[in-house]
Amino acid sequence: MSEVREQIFSVSEITKSIKFILESTFEKISIEGEISNFKAHGSGHWYFNLKDEGAVINCTMWRGVNNYVFFSPEDGMKVTVTGRITVYPPRGSYQVDVRSMKPAGLGELQAAFERLKRKLFDEGLFDDEYKKQIPSYPKKIGLVTAADGAAIKDMISVAERRFPLTELVIAPTKVQGAGAAENIVENIKRLNHLTGIDVIILARGGGSIEDLWAFNEEIVARAIFNSKIPIITGVGHEVDFTIADFVSDLRAPTPSVAMELATPNIDDLKTFIKDSYSLSCELIEENLNNYKDEAEQFLQSYSYRFPLEKINKFNQTLDYEILKLKNLIEKKSTLLSNKINLLTSTLDSHNIEKSLKKGFALIKQNAKFVTRRENYNSNKPAVIKFFDGELEIK
Amino acid sequence: MSKKKSADSIEEKLKRLETITSTLEDSEITLEDSIELFEEGAKLSKECFSILEKAELKITTLKKDLDKINNQVED
Repeated sequence: MSEVREQIFSVSEITKSIKFILESTFEKISIEGEISNFKAHGSGHWYFNLKDEGAVINCTMWRGVNNYVFFSPEDGMKVTVTGRITVYPPRGSYQVDVRSMKPAGLGELQAAFERLKRKLFDEGLFDDEYKKQIPSYPKKIGLVTAADGAAIKDMISVAERRFPLTELVIAPTKVQGAGAAENIVENIKRLNHLTGIDVIILARGGGSIEDLWAFNEEIVARAIFNSKIPIITGVGHEVDFTIADFVSDLRAPTPSVAMELATPNIDDLKTFIKDSYSLSCELIEENLNNYKDEAEQFLQSYSYRFPLEKINKFNQTLDYEILKLKNLIEKKSTLLSNKINLLTSTLDSHNIEKSLKKGFALIKQNAKFVTRRENYNSNKPAVIKFFDGELEIK
Repeated sequence: MSKKKSADSIEEKLKRLETITSTLEDSEITLEDSIELFEEGAKLSKECFSILEKAELKITTLKKDLDKINNQVED
């Protein structure tokens, strides 16, 4: 039989040995694998497995360390983790204490992007019916963007040039790296609590897919969707499309364009005012002329001329009647004057003096002419009146 | 008669201006109304223009702490 004396370990002793060997051998290792059973615990720690076709290994990533991961890990994602192996004696288990994590390749991010896009699309977050109207004349524009950098400078100068009537309310935001997504979400919410913000611009200048990753995070997409204020996104360059762009109310290819879409052009407004003014000048002139023409036409119309004619006709009749009356009066007066002449001449012919001149004489008694024999009183004196004097008879 | 006051926003003013021109275009309008509208429009154009000429961009920055947010809300 075997002469070799077998060494007997206690469980603790052997575990201690294993722990020493494993932890000293795998002090700093990188492992590539697919995430499964990912759990972000309330305490802030992450627990998950990495697996490939043949094996599984437990992983932990502590709060504070996992802050530096720029994306949200999820099941099925291929990642490369760096860390060390630790052994937990009470459970007799070993695990990877992950210090850093990154996607196994750009393809992984792309795949995560497509998965989230699909999911949110299916939920209806991109539907047109949820797109809010962008106001034409914003009084206040909220900016969720980095306080320094080209993007904000560009946006300010665009606002200054196009629509200086507005007020920019800047929420300085971390737009890149760990915690960026959370900060974006927080500032969208903060602006929603302010009064009078008409539109929010969520913007970031150009960068790599990793730089822009915060805009592909689910929490950002949901914050955009839940915002009561319409949001315009202007992230990266023309070619960059993020999840935020799909869910936002309006997507602009760059931050500058986002500001352009949010503001009317002051030059257009001035032109509009000038045009309106000159148009109304033309219109009022036209209107006045129309009324003038109408008035003139009216005056020249038959209905207006007719009463004049009638008056003229009436005048004519009146003139005629007056003439007739005049003739009549004239005729009558001639007749009368003739009669008067006749009478006058008759009277003339009876003139006593004329008879006396001819040689006739008149006899007067008691100062009265005696024209008949029977009236003569021979006892009384009489006077004979001759043409050339009177003779008394006693 | 319109009771438009200067307290209206530039948006409302511009809209009113548009309404005035389109009403003036309407041939049914009375002479009196059209003159009144024209006068209002002329005044409004002047007002809008001077607002646009005088405009200056205002920029405020939100502070990190929550007290400031509350102040901002009350503003």
